[in-house]
Amino acid sequence: MDLYLPIAEVSVNAPLLMALGALVGFVSGLFGIGGGFLMTPVLVFLGIPPVVAVASEANHVVASSASGVITYGRKRLVDFRMGGVLAFGGVIGAFLGVEAFRILRLLGQADLTVALSYLIFLGVIGALMLSESLGAILRRRRGEPARAPRDRRPMWLYGLPLKMRFPRSRLYISVIPPIALGMFVGVLSAIMGVGGGFILVPAMVYLLRMPARIVVGTSLFQIIITTALVTVLQAGRNQTVDIVLATVLLVGGVIGAQLGARASARFRAEELRALLALIVLLVGLRMGLGLFITPQDPFVLAGGGG
Amino acid sequence: MDTAPPPPAASAAPAAVSAALTETNVRVTSGFRGAGIVVYGAVLDPHDRPSDVVVVVRGPDQPIRIARKVRIAGLWLNSRPVVFQGAPGFYMTASTRPLDQIAGFGTLRRLGLGLDHLAINAPLEQRTETRYGVRDVVVSRLGADYLDWRRAVLRLKEKAGLYDADAAGVRFVDKSLFRAEIRLPAEAPIGRYQAEIRLFQNGQEVAVRERDLIVEKVGAERALHQFSQNRPWTYGIVSVLIALGSGWAASAAFRRS
Repeated sequence: MDLYLPIAEVSVNAPLLMALGALVGFVSGLFGIGGGFLMTPVLVFLGIPPVVAVASEANHVVASSASGVITYGRKRLVDFRMGGVLAFGGVIGAFLGVEAFRILRLLGQADLTVALSYLIFLGVIGALMLSESLGAILRRRRGEPARAPRDRRPMWLYGLPLKMRFPRSRLYISVIPPIALGMFVGVLSAIMGVGGGFILVPAMVYLLRMPARIVVGTSLFQIIITTALVTVLQAGRNQTVDIVLATVLLVGGVIGAQLGARASARFRAEELRALLALIVLLVGLRMGLGLFITPQDPFVLAGGGG
Repeated sequence: MDTAPPPPAASAAPAAVSAALTETNVRVTSGFRGAGIVVYGAVLDPHDRPSDVVVVVRGPDQPIRIARKVRIAGLWLNSRPVVFQGAPGFYMTASTRPLDQIAGFGTLRRLGLGLDHLAINAPLEQRTETRYGVRDVVVSRLGADYLDWRRAVLRLKEKAGLYDADAAGVRFVDKSLFRAEIRLPAEAPIGRYQAEIRLFQNGQEVAVRERDLIVEKVGAERALHQFSQNRPWTYGIVSVLIALGSGWAASAAFRRS
C-alpha cells in the first residue's frame, strides 16, 4: 500500500515505513535512546528529501521521548531542574541550528554538513563506547572485578560561577556546563534530525557526573523540549515537517519501543552497550562514506528550492 | 502514403492537428502513485502528406540548484550551487521518430523543442562580470564548463524520471489518428502543465495545439499542504501536540499491559 506524503511530495510504501519505524523503535527501546540517528539515514535512503527527513524525524523523537519521560517520571527518575537548565541551552542551540541549517541549504552545503556531523559524532562516540564496553566484557570473561567508577568530578566544574543546587542529581555546580551542553545538543538536533541522546547520556554521566539512573529520563526530558522547538521552528521557517510521515513512523515506533524495552532485560548492560556502539559506528561510517569514495556522477541537485 | 510533391493549390489548404487529453485533472490523493496521461488526436490533411507528431508535456518551471562534487583535501565536497532558470519541473517528449530526424537543428532550437534544445540557463552565473576577490567569481568556471553543467541538469532530471524523450511514443493507430501516453511519476511537481501537440511536415512545423493539464493535491493532502504553507507556525505546534499526545497514549497503554 503506497502512501503519498503531502510535504515530502513523494510516495512511500506505508507498511515498509511502519515496519522500519518498529525496527528503529525496537532498537531505541532496547538501548534507551531516541533512535533518530538511525531513522534519519533510513528515511533519506528511502528517497525522502533530507530536509524533510530531518524535520519530520525531530517530530517523531518528540513522541518517543514523551512516552519515555512519563514512564521515568512515574518512577521519580527525572531531574526536572537539571533538564530545564539543559533545555534552556537547548532552546538557544535549536534557534542557532535551524538558522544555520537554512544558510547551509542556501549554500548547498546542507548534505555535506549532515554527512560530516554523522561521521564525526557517531564515529567518535561509537568508537569510545565500543572500546569501553569491549574492555568491560573482557574483564568479566577473565573474572577481574569491574573497574571502580571514578567518583571525583573534574575540578573545573566547581571553579565556574552561577552555581545552582540540583537536589535530585545530588549536585551543586555551575549552570554553565549544562547550558553549553544543551546548546550543543540543540544545534545537532536541528542539523542531524536526532534527539542527541547518544551524546547527552555519556556527557551527563562522564562530565556532569550525574547518577546513572537519573540520566536517561532527564536526557529524554530535555530532548522533548529541544525537539519540540526544532519541529515548530522547522515547520515555521522551512515548512519541511511532514505530519503524515511523522505519524506513520510513530505508530510503528511506539510498538517497537515497547518490545525493545522488554527485550533489554535479557541482555547484560555491557553487551548492549557494545551492540549499540557497533550500530552507532556503522551508521556514522556509512553516512561519511560518501565523502571519501569517488562519486558516480560529479554533479548533484542541491535541492531546497530557489 | 503519397510521397509525390503536393500540387501548388495544396499550400492554400494547410494541414491541421486536433488533439485532446483523456484527463485534464490529475488528482493527487494519499494513494497517488503517478498517472498515465493519454494524448490522442488526428492529423487533418486533405492531401495526406507525410506527417510527424511531437507531443510535449511540460510541468511548472522550477529553478534548479545544482552543485558539483569537488575533491578538497581528500574529501568530496559540494561546490557553490549554480541556479538554472527556466527549467521545467517536468519535461517529456513523445514523437513518431527521433526529433533530429523530424526537423533540423535550427527549427528545434528556435522552438526550444527537445531536451537538447530546452531553453534553460544560469543567468546569475552569466551576469557576473565583476572583479576578482568579490563574492561571485564564477565567470571563468562556468564559462568553459557551461555545457557540462547543462548536461548534468538534464541527466539528473532524467535519472529522477522527470525528463525523458520517447522517440517512438506517438503511434498512428489509423491513417490519421494518433495516440501517445506520457507517464507522470509520483515525484512529478504539483501545478499547471502544458501539453503541446506539434505537427511537422517536411521538416517544418505546420500546426500546433496546446492543452492544459492540472496536477493538484486534493482532499486531506491538499488541506495539510495548505495548512503547512499558510499557517506554518500553527502547523508546527499541532505536529508537536500530536506527537506529545501519542507519546502519552503509548506510555499509558504500556502501563496497563
